[in-house]
Amino acid sequence: MKIDLGQFRNTFLLESAENATSMETGLLQLRSTPDDIELLNSIFRAAHSIKGGAGSFGFTNLVRFTHTLENLLDRLRSLELNATEDLIELLLRAVDVLRTLLNADADTTLSADALALEGKIGSIASGSAEQKTDGQESVRDAESVRGLHLYRIHFYPDKDLFASGTNPLVLLRNLAEMGTVSCCHVHTDKLPGLADLDPNQCYLSWEVELGATTSEAELREVFEFVEHLAEIRIERLDRDLSPENSVSVEDRHPVPQEPAPASSLETRLPHAPKAASGKKASPAGESGSIRVAIDKVDRLIDLVGELVIAHVMAAQMVEDFEPSCLPKLREAVAAMERNTRELHERVMSVRMLPVGTLFQRYTRTVYDIGTSTGKQINLRIEGEETEIDKGMLELLADPLTHLIRNAGDHGIEAAEARQAAGKELEGLITLNAYHRAGRIVIEVSDDGAGIDTERVRAKAIERGLISPDAQVSDDQLQMLIFEPGFSTKEAISDLSGRGVGMDVVHQNIRQLNGTVSLTSERGRGTKVVIELPLTLAILEGLLVRVEERTLVIPLLSVVETVPLGEEQIERVASLGEVVVIRGESIPLLHLRRFLGLSPDTTTPTNDQGGAGGHRLAVIVEAGQKKVGLVVDELLGIQQVVVKSLERHLRKIDGLMGATILGDGCVAPIVDVAEIATLNLFSLQTRSKVPLRGTGSTPTAPRQRTGQDRGGTIHVLA
Amino acid sequence: MRKVLIVDDSVSMRQMVSFTLREGGFEVIEAEHGEDALKKIEGVSIDLIITDLNMPVMDGITLIQNIRRLPAMKTKPILMLTTEGLATKKEQGKAAGATGWIVKPFDPEKLLSTVAKVLP
Repeated sequence: MKIDLGQFRNTFLLESAENATSMETGLLQLRSTPDDIELLNSIFRAAHSIKGGAGSFGFTNLVRFTHTLENLLDRLRSLELNATEDLIELLLRAVDVLRTLLNADADTTLSADALALEGKIGSIASGSAEQKTDGQESVRDAESVRGLHLYRIHFYPDKDLFASGTNPLVLLRNLAEMGTVSCCHVHTDKLPGLADLDPNQCYLSWEVELGATTSEAELREVFEFVEHLAEIRIERLDRDLSPENSVSVEDRHPVPQEPAPASSLETRLPHAPKAASGKKASPAGESGSIRVAIDKVDRLIDLVGELVIAHVMAAQMVEDFEPSCLPKLREAVAAMERNTRELHERVMSVRMLPVGTLFQRYTRTVYDIGTSTGKQINLRIEGEETEIDKGMLELLADPLTHLIRNAGDHGIEAAEARQAAGKELEGLITLNAYHRAGRIVIEVSDDGAGIDTERVRAKAIERGLISPDAQVSDDQLQMLIFEPGFSTKEAISDLSGRGVGMDVVHQNIRQLNGTVSLTSERGRGTKVVIELPLTLAILEGLLVRVEERTLVIPLLSVVETVPLGEEQIERVASLGEVVVIRGESIPLLHLRRFLGLSPDTTTPTNDQGGAGGHRLAVIVEAGQKKVGLVVDELLGIQQVVVKSLERHLRKIDGLMGATILGDGCVAPIVDVAEIATLNLFSLQTRSKVPLRGTGSTPTAPRQRTGQDRGGTIHVLA
Repeated sequence: MRKVLIVDDSVSMRQMVSFTLREGGFEVIEAEHGEDALKKIEGVSIDLIITDLNMPVMDGITLIQNIRRLPAMKTKPILMLTTEGLATKKEQGKAAGATGWIVKPFDPEKLLSTVAKVLP
C-alpha cells in the first residue's frame, strides 16, 4: 500500500508559518525575560513541530537546519545556555532562514549565509554537551549485511513486561517473520501454581533459533522497545559462514551530509526571496486557505438549514396559492430575509481574523530598525483582537511595514537627540486598531520629532507640487508627503528609502476603499490614521438617481442628505461652490457633470436653476473632508455586492466599481475617499460652470473642455 | 474496528497520522494534548495510543504516566511519536510505561508496520 501524505502539505506550510511567527514573537519576548522556561519551551516546540512535519514533504534541508536549531534551543530551555542578545539575534536570523525554506521548493538548498548560520548554531549547540543522537544510527544499521545466518535468541522478559503495554507474542511473531524458526523453546519453570498466578505478570521466557538473512542489529530492533524490560541475548551459531561478514561496521556509519559548494547555491534557488519586502512573513499557501473555528461553521450550517426550511415553506405556498396564504408567505419571506442577512454576516465573519496576527510581525520590524539604526525603539500593540477581513489583512501588510519603517527611520530620533529634547531615551511606536462607526481604524503613531513642515514646503516647491507663493496650511503640507515621489529624507536609508514613498501607502489604502490621514506635531510625534471598511465585498449602499442613471453611494460615508435650495449655495474663493450647513461650508460636486451626463441636451432647464430647487445634496465624509454630492433623487438603501470594473475598463477616478441591481441594471459605486481628494475647485472653475447664486444667466457662453483630472468628460454651459 | 488515539498539538501531524491509520483500517480519535487525550478516552475502549512528547498543557510523558494508572489501560500499547534523537527522552518514555516509539518524520508504511509490532 502506498500512502500519499501530499494533501497535508498546505496544512503543514500554514502551521509552520504560524510556528515561525510564534518563534519570532517568543524570541523577541525573551529579550526581556531570558530565563522564562515556558517561553523557551514554546519556542522549542515550534521548531520541533516544523522539523517533525518537514520530513514528510521532502524538506530535507529544512529538517537538517531545524535539527541543528533544535539542539541549540534544547540547551537554552535546559538553561545550559543563556539567551543573550547575540544569541537571540542569531536565532531570529534562523527564523528568517526557516521562512525562506518554507516558501521555497522542498529541495531548495541553503544559501551560503544560511549554511554559515547553521554552522554557527551547530557549533554553539554542540559547545559542551556531546551529541547524544541514537535515532539515525539505528535506522542506518538496517542497511546491513546480507547472507544467511543462524541465530539463537534468548528472550527473558521481566515480570512486569505487560506494564509497558508489550505483548511478547507480538514480538515472537515479528521475530518469526524475519526468517525461518527452526526451534522455539518456552521456559515455564517460573510459572507458579494457579493460586499464586498474577495475570498481570509475565512468567515465561523463550529461546528461539532462527535462520535469517538479516543482521543481528535488525533482530535486536524487534526488541527495541523492550530492551529495558527483558534480557535479550543473540548468538550467532554460524560464525564465518558467509563472506559478506567482512564488511566492516564503520563503512556503514552515517556520512554527514556534505554541504554543496557555495558557488552552486544561489543558482539553485528558484525563487530568491525578496529580502526587505513585507511579504517575507507570508508563506506559501497562506492566501489560499483560512482556518475557521468549528462553531462558526456549525452556525452557518444551521442557518442554511433554516433557509432551506423557509424556502420549502414559501415554495409550497406559491404552489397552491390562495389569498389567505399571503400573511404566511410574508412571514416566510421575512424569515428568509433574516436568515440571508445573518448568513451574510456570518460568512463575512469567517473571513475575519484578529489584526494581532499581523501586528505581531512588526515587533520584528521594529527590532530590525533598532539594530540597524542604533536607536532604541519599542513597539506597543493595542487592539490586537480587532477583527479584519483576511484579504484586507494581507494587503495591509506592506503599507503598515512602510509606515512603521518611516516612523522608526525618520520619526524616532537618535538617543542623544531625544535626551536633548528631554524625552525618554527609548522611542515608542504604537500600533492600534479599533472599530468606529462600522469601519476599522488603524493608527500608527510615534513619539518622534514630527514632520518638519518647512522642509516639506521646500521640497514640495522643489518638486513643483506647489507654487513658491502658495498659501498652504500645515495640515495640507503634511498631506503632501502622500504625493507620488515625495520624500524629505535626503540620504536614502537602508530601511525605508528606495524611492518608494508614502504615496504607495496612500495608493494601497485607497485600493482597500480606505482613507489615510496624518497629524503631526513638531517635537511630539506623528500619527497616521487609516480607516477601512469592514469588508471589501459587500456594502450598504444609498441608491441615488442622477438624470436617468442610478448610482450607489456607500452608506457608511454618508453623513446626511439635505434639500438643496438656491439660497444655501454660496461661492467661496478657495472652494468654489459650497453649501452652508449649520455654519459649515461644504464644497459641492454635481454628479451629473462629474459623470459627463450633459444636462444641456437632456434637461437644459435643470442646470440653469429652473427646476434645480428640488434637488438634493448627499453630504459624504472621507477622512476629515466633507463633500456634498448633488443628486436628483434618493431611491433607497440596499446591500450591494461590489464588482470590480478594472478587469473590463480602465480605472475611473471617483468610482470604486459597480454593482448589479435587483432589476439587472449596472450601477456605478461612488468612491467617496477619492472624490474627497479631487480638487473640486479646479473642477468647477475649469469647467466654467455658471454658478447659481452668483447671478449668472442662462445665456452664459457654452464651452467644452477636454477631460481633466477629475474625470469630467463633457462640460456644459 | 480497532481504535487508535493520536495525541499531537500539531494539526498537520495529527492529520497525517490519522490519515495513515485510517488507510491502514483503524478507527482514529484525535486529541490536542495530554489533558484532551485523557478526556477523550474516558469511557472509550482504546486499542493503541500514539502520542507526541512535546505538547502544551500536558506533555506526552505525563500523559503516559497518567494512562498507565487507568486500570483499563494498564497493558495497552502506547507509542511515542517523537523526533527526539535524544536517548534520554526515550528512556523517560519507557520508564513512564511507553511501549515503543515512532520517529518523526514518519514514513506511512513504517508507521503501520510499527503499529503492527505492538498490536496483537
